[in-house]
Amino acid sequence: MDFKTAAQLSFYLAKDYAEDIFRLLVNYQAVSASEVATRLNLHIKTAQDFLEGLAELGVLSKEEVFEKKRPYFHYVLDQDRLVIDIDLMQIKRQPTNDLLSQQIREKENAGARFSVARSDDYITSVTIWTGDTRNRQERKIKLTTPQGKFLYHLPFPKVEPLTVAQIMAKANVDENLAPEILDLVQLLEKFKVIEALPNQTDKS
Amino acid sequence: MVIAGIFGLSALLFGIIPGFYILGGLVWIYALYNLLVFVRMGNLAHLVPTAYLIFLGFMLFLAPYFGQRTESDLGYRIAWFSGILVFGILMIFVTITKKVKWRGREIFELAAEPVDDTGDGYTPRPRPVGRVEFTQREILSFARFINSNLIAIAYVSPRKVTFMPVKMGDEFMQFLRLYRPNDESTWINFDFEGDVSVHISHKDYLDYREPLAFDKLCESLGQLFVNFAELHKKGEGVRIIDRLDAVGLSFFS
Repeated sequence: MDFKTAAQLSFYLAKDYAEDIFRLLVNYQAVSASEVATRLNLHIKTAQDFLEGLAELGVLSKEEVFEKKRPYFHYVLDQDRLVIDIDLMQIKRQPTNDLLSQQIREKENAGARFSVARSDDYITSVTIWTGDTRNRQERKIKLTTPQGKFLYHLPFPKVEPLTVAQIMAKANVDENLAPEILDLVQLLEKFKVIEALPNQTDKS
Repeated sequence: MVIAGIFGLSALLFGIIPGFYILGGLVWIYALYNLLVFVRMGNLAHLVPTAYLIFLGFMLFLAPYFGQRTESDLGYRIAWFSGILVFGILMIFVTITKKVKWRGREIFELAAEPVDDTGDGYTPRPRPVGRVEFTQREILSFARFINSNLIAIAYVSPRKVTFMPVKMGDEFMQFLRLYRPNDESTWINFDFEGDVSVHISHKDYLDYREPLAFDKLCESLGQLFVNFAELHKKGEGVRIIDRLDAVGLSFFS
């Protein structure tokens, strides 16, 4: 299951009336939105949205019924169990060679403020200002110790850039921690604190 | 000018006698500052302005009681003359020999000497300069030397020593700051594991006429202190003073 589907399913499961509706679905062969609404004293729109949402996720199936003035739907439970199973590794940032060999340095006039640890050998947080005039907002990013050490060794603006892997080696950051370093690099690139330069080999 | 102004204003507002007292009080406050520099930095030469200012304040407190051309007035005048003469000679000596001069400007000049490139690149981040092989004892001894010669203010903490160069004119504010060097000050940090790092404040960087390559400037400043520490380790501290004197800045800059 992907994160988005799991989030949608969790959204419905978190409703106060979710268990009551599922009780009806389990015990009745098929129910309509109006039957659910009158039975549980809910607004019909609330019941309908809930059942429609679950139908879209494939938990229920629906069948159109024409026995009254206007057609309506009957909902039938399709699954005996609900399992939310997310493979978290699918969102892990894999440190590919391309990302690790990216040449970076601090961008000139980045306007960020760096807070240094008392021991003066790593950065504890970066404060960035976004927006203009009245919309100007301060955003403080707290760093993990490996991220702080990495940032401490980031080349200054206008000097020869280094690859991410080289900076990690200089900062004595373990290779296993590459995903969190790459996450920081991507974030600071977005906020224009870090600039990535084309590799020398790419130029030629 | 300032002293005359304060005296004139206080005399105008409160009368001539309170004017002398206010002036004497201010002079003693300045004497206290000089005494603090001696105690904190171990700079012996600061005892000269301290003693001079205590004497001056004392004479100002006595001033309203003399001026009647009496016998005791003659003694007061002789005390004035001899005090000004002795302290004047001593003050000229410590000024000309730069023993009471804060050496921050010389430090920044020496740091800029090897930097030919321009191009700005300022960042408020500190820069790691490298590792050195000094023992904790050697670093602390170097810190005492740096303090006593007013090359920088050394802040000693359990893990490191941080040197903050102070320029003449900034000494009152920088010296009286009791907290550790911060983002707004320039500092050179020697930790006891041997790592050296440098931070140059934006204000100090803008004091350079040219936008020197910032990275190289930081490296040069760090290296300058490493070289100083090596000279001191070899017992050649006097060469450090020679290098600072060779910059050729005036006594008050």
